[in-house]
Amino acid sequence: MTTVTSDKEAAVRVDRLSKTFGTGAAVEELSFEVGDKEFVSLVGPSGCGKSTLLRMVSGLIAPTKGSVEVRGQEVRGPLVGVGMVFQAPVLLPWRTALANVLFTAEMRGEPANRYRARARELIRLTGLEGFEKRYPHELSGGMQQRVAICRALLLDPSLLLMDEPFGALDIITRERMGFELQKIWSATRNTVLFVTHSITEAVLLSDTVVVMSARPGRLKAVIAVDLPRPRDVKTLSHPRFVELAARVRDNIEAQSVD
Amino acid sequence: MGATLMARSTPALRPLLVLIAVLLVWQYGGAAAHVPGYILPLPSEIAARFWQTRAVQLHHLSITALTTVIGLAAALATGVLLALAVIYVPALKTIVMPALAAFNSIPKIAIAPLFIIWFGLGIESKIVLAFLLGLFPIFVNSVTGLGEIEADVLDLSRLAGGTQLRIFAKVRLMNALPYITDALKVAFPLALVGSIVGEFIGGNRGVGYLILSAQFNLDTPLVFATLVSITLFTTLGIGAVALVEAAFLNWRPSRRRR
Repeated sequence: MTTVTSDKEAAVRVDRLSKTFGTGAAVEELSFEVGDKEFVSLVGPSGCGKSTLLRMVSGLIAPTKGSVEVRGQEVRGPLVGVGMVFQAPVLLPWRTALANVLFTAEMRGEPANRYRARARELIRLTGLEGFEKRYPHELSGGMQQRVAICRALLLDPSLLLMDEPFGALDIITRERMGFELQKIWSATRNTVLFVTHSITEAVLLSDTVVVMSARPGRLKAVIAVDLPRPRDVKTLSHPRFVELAARVRDNIEAQSVD
Repeated sequence: MGATLMARSTPALRPLLVLIAVLLVWQYGGAAAHVPGYILPLPSEIAARFWQTRAVQLHHLSITALTTVIGLAAALATGVLLALAVIYVPALKTIVMPALAAFNSIPKIAIAPLFIIWFGLGIESKIVLAFLLGLFPIFVNSVTGLGEIEADVLDLSRLAGGTQLRIFAKVRLMNALPYITDALKVAFPLALVGSIVGEFIGGNRGVGYLILSAQFNLDTPLVFATLVSITLFTTLGIGAVALVEAAFLNWRPSRRRR
């Protein structure tokens, strides 16, 4: 099928992946690849199986048919070490921001102290400095999501999975978080698989946008985003950006008709 | 003047002011109405009786406190262990939950005489009663606190490499703590009821016995004086739970915004 990045080593290879639930197929015969250190967005209409796909890539749920390979290894069971960010921050309310970031290390069985410096560095990178000792309920939604991103990045995961991480934020915070994510990503350079509803967000952040069809989710289009980085607010009015966003939109809308 | 005193006082002092007002009305109203002491003794008579019998009070209260605390500790250990069994062995849930619910629907006070037959007139029967009354709220809250963890939190823990033991120690137990302290606040007075009912039914020690023998002698001031002892003990117990909460649960929003 479509090879997104033939010139690079594939970090993730999704091969004829299908998932059927009791209610029918969620994902059907889906294949695509994510190159090493590539930022790939998955867009598509609601309920097209984007989240299901992400859970299969992480190994949290098993596919009905087909396979997922991460760095040449077939995923069978939870992929330990993958960074995961959900739409909700999913912070532990009894832990401070810093302790929430360190949670990943503790679950891995690593002494938290060894990662304290790294955690502080990430906290600084995400603009949370000064809020280390705050509890989640004392932080805004955007700040909570930043803590969740820090937590996912703590152990330098080679693969970062993000399931609509900014979906619950207001539009202004959401836009700012997008730019911040780009900044963080340029510093950490993980391979990122990013699920979003927002066409703007997808085009702005990604190297490649994968468009999925309505349920059951099939591959609709793979669009390479060749905009120069770093991208900023001005990129949004760049003719090439407008053109690419329109192409993504056309691909999504073409299917809403049928 | 009373209103300004009320308004000026700190919220913590207000219940105390109300108590003092009630006692004043009781004292002077009761004296003016010439209510016989064996029906409703005046606060001053109760205080005098309390002071006269302080050694006896302490002796009997210490027995009741012992059976209550042992019964409660056993209920805590058993309740948490049963909850763990139900959570980690789902098949048990369908057996243990209905069995405990059925058992809980039996009014244990009504079958208390049975425990005197089975466990004798000594402290054992009181401990069993205290245990049985305290068990259910602790079990039910432990099942909720240890078991009802957000699926996303468990997924994150697994992806970070968390073992069952680490997830138990750092997620389930921490999540359960406020549920367990809340349960203790309910279970402690219940266990005390168990001890006192046991003392009512048989034996010659404990505050239940003291109240019963005072009633037999129409020594109403002593009945009230013993109630004061019991109240002091309950306050002490709830205070101990509050101390645990202050030490471990200061992250709770309700406690921080007050």
